[in-house]
Amino acid sequence: MYAIAIHGGAGAVPRASLLPERERSYRAGLEAALDGGYAVLERGGPSLDAVATAVRLLEDHPCFNAGYGAALTRDGAAELDAAIMDGRQMRAGAVASVRHVKNPIDLARRVMEKSRHVLLVGAGAEEFALEEHLSLVPNQYFRTAERLEQLESEQRGERVSDLVPPSPQGTVGAVARDASGNLAAATSTGGMTNKRPGRVGDSPIIGAGTYAKNGVCAVSATGHGEYFIRAVAAYHVCAAVEYRGLTLGQAVHELLHEILRKLGGDGGLIAIDDSGSIVMDFSTEGMFRGARDGAGRREIAIY
Amino acid sequence: MSRRKIAAIPLMLIAGMTCVVAAAAPAPAPAPIAIVIHGGAGVIEPARMTAERAASYRAGLAAALDAGYEVLERGGASLDAVMAAVRRMEDDPQFNAGRGAVLNHEGDAELDAAIMDGAGPRAGAVAGVRHVKNPIELARLVMDNSPHVLLVADGAEEFALEQGMALVPRDYFRTEAREQELDAARRAEAARTSGKPTALVAPPPAESALGTVGAVALDRAGNLAAATSTGGLTNKHRGRIGDTPLIGAGTYASNASCAVSGTGQGEYYIRQVVAYDVCALVQYRRMTLAQAVHEVVQVKLRRSGGEGGIIALDRAGNIAMDFNSAGMFRGARDSHGRREIAMYRDAGH
Repeated sequence: MYAIAIHGGAGAVPRASLLPERERSYRAGLEAALDGGYAVLERGGPSLDAVATAVRLLEDHPCFNAGYGAALTRDGAAELDAAIMDGRQMRAGAVASVRHVKNPIDLARRVMEKSRHVLLVGAGAEEFALEEHLSLVPNQYFRTAERLEQLESEQRGERVSDLVPPSPQGTVGAVARDASGNLAAATSTGGMTNKRPGRVGDSPIIGAGTYAKNGVCAVSATGHGEYFIRAVAAYHVCAAVEYRGLTLGQAVHELLHEILRKLGGDGGLIAIDDSGSIVMDFSTEGMFRGARDGAGRREIAIY
Repeated sequence: MSRRKIAAIPLMLIAGMTCVVAAAAPAPAPAPIAIVIHGGAGVIEPARMTAERAASYRAGLAAALDAGYEVLERGGASLDAVMAAVRRMEDDPQFNAGRGAVLNHEGDAELDAAIMDGAGPRAGAVAGVRHVKNPIELARLVMDNSPHVLLVADGAEEFALEQGMALVPRDYFRTEAREQELDAARRAEAARTSGKPTALVAPPPAESALGTVGAVALDRAGNLAAATSTGGLTNKHRGRIGDTPLIGAGTYASNASCAVSGTGQGEYYIRQVVAYDVCALVQYRRMTLAQAVHEVVQVKLRRSGGEGGIIALDRAGNIAMDFNSAGMFRGARDSHGRREIAMYRDAGH
């Protein structure tokens, strides 16, 4: 069965602050990404294209913390990270700390397909983008009025509401299984609001925020990145399924509610297994998410 | 950290203190201590290794091994022991880390390092730094003094300055030998891209291709730690990051399982989350450390085509050093009296 799941970040989503109009905008953004990715699967396309399509749509949507509308560093710039992994051949590509790449997920895919490397960072990653004829955009392209406001209140010492406007923990991601049984995962983020320039979280780290292995599972995480790195979160889920025979649901539950909770980190995770069954779980108040599969399931949820 | 401590306590004194402690306590068997280091896999084809060079590498490895072991012997933390060993190799221009690191396509050293404390788990890492004399020290500061795990490039160097670390000019890292390697690699690349038959093109120099340095250690308190540092690949694309600074890929430590440091073709190590995979096989598949390392190096990496090696250590003091490349510079020392330095398959060489 083919299926896709997406997330648009996990964190505190105070119901009072999520105005109906804003909620509609989030839901519309999630739906467009979910259906965009699903359409690829439906016409027989590979899971890799489906997750790239869904993530690109979320990057282009200003509500989500990735691409346009990403959270800003303490210097007021957007610094973006992304990763993609193909579970069929265990290929992967990732970029970190890029400042002028409109769709970091596209560059991550080029790294996977056109270079002999997995991870490129900073100016070197942008040099590679130019070599690959991707055009760069000015950093101000990513900056929205809302993100500037969020940065300013954070810098004034006010506690920024976690997800609305979207989270310091916001991140977007997708996992999919196509009709041929291939798994793929993709994740993209602007990281934490007011972060130190050069800080890289779990998103672009294969095994931490993103992982896919055919026959086992595909995972994309969102949350407090440092904890997900220390726990090697995404690969941990796959190892728990492969080595211990846990179900995907058990593996995800143990990671979020036992291992990460004990370490003090919260967040959420979407995953899909070999049979196309989807798990979406989180230890925060909410997680923007959606799932759709060939059996007719189609849902968008926040809480 | 360990520099502040007394460099060498007379052994007699340590032995004396141990006796007093042992007499006062109800005498359990002394907890084992151990350290394992590597100075890169792939290394030099045996045929090209002169006796003089071999002696020089062995001396460099022995100095790093003993520097780390001394820390453990005087009751220091495994974290300080792996730092001491890695710092020594970063300062030794023979090894591909710190001074003498390989150069990227633009002729600069771009350095990566990571450290992990198995008791935490806590971790710190830096990648793509160009002016930090000892990247492993900056990785440690990221772990100890920041809420983050990984800082890269200019932002990492900004953090170094905030921490009061002095930066060094790029020339500090560059050695003549590495410049020659880069020239050879560039010539080979130019020849390849101009369509010459590959038979006419000299192969890229093999000796530094997989170089990286690393250490894993177990201290008296039973804590494991791992540290790795590298200059990456000769002629690499600017901004390319390998497995070394990625927690789970090239470096991992957990008191629940083991401590691992890898060296090899980093892209394969990243995709297979090699360091963590060894620990997952130990913890969840109940493999011995040697079985897990063998499974990852000789079965899984071989199957995917990834070349390199691994050093690993568990809380019982079991040591594993394995590689599927021509050789791996390595050393191990423990409280059972083992002390060895080796380069090729035959441990005597």
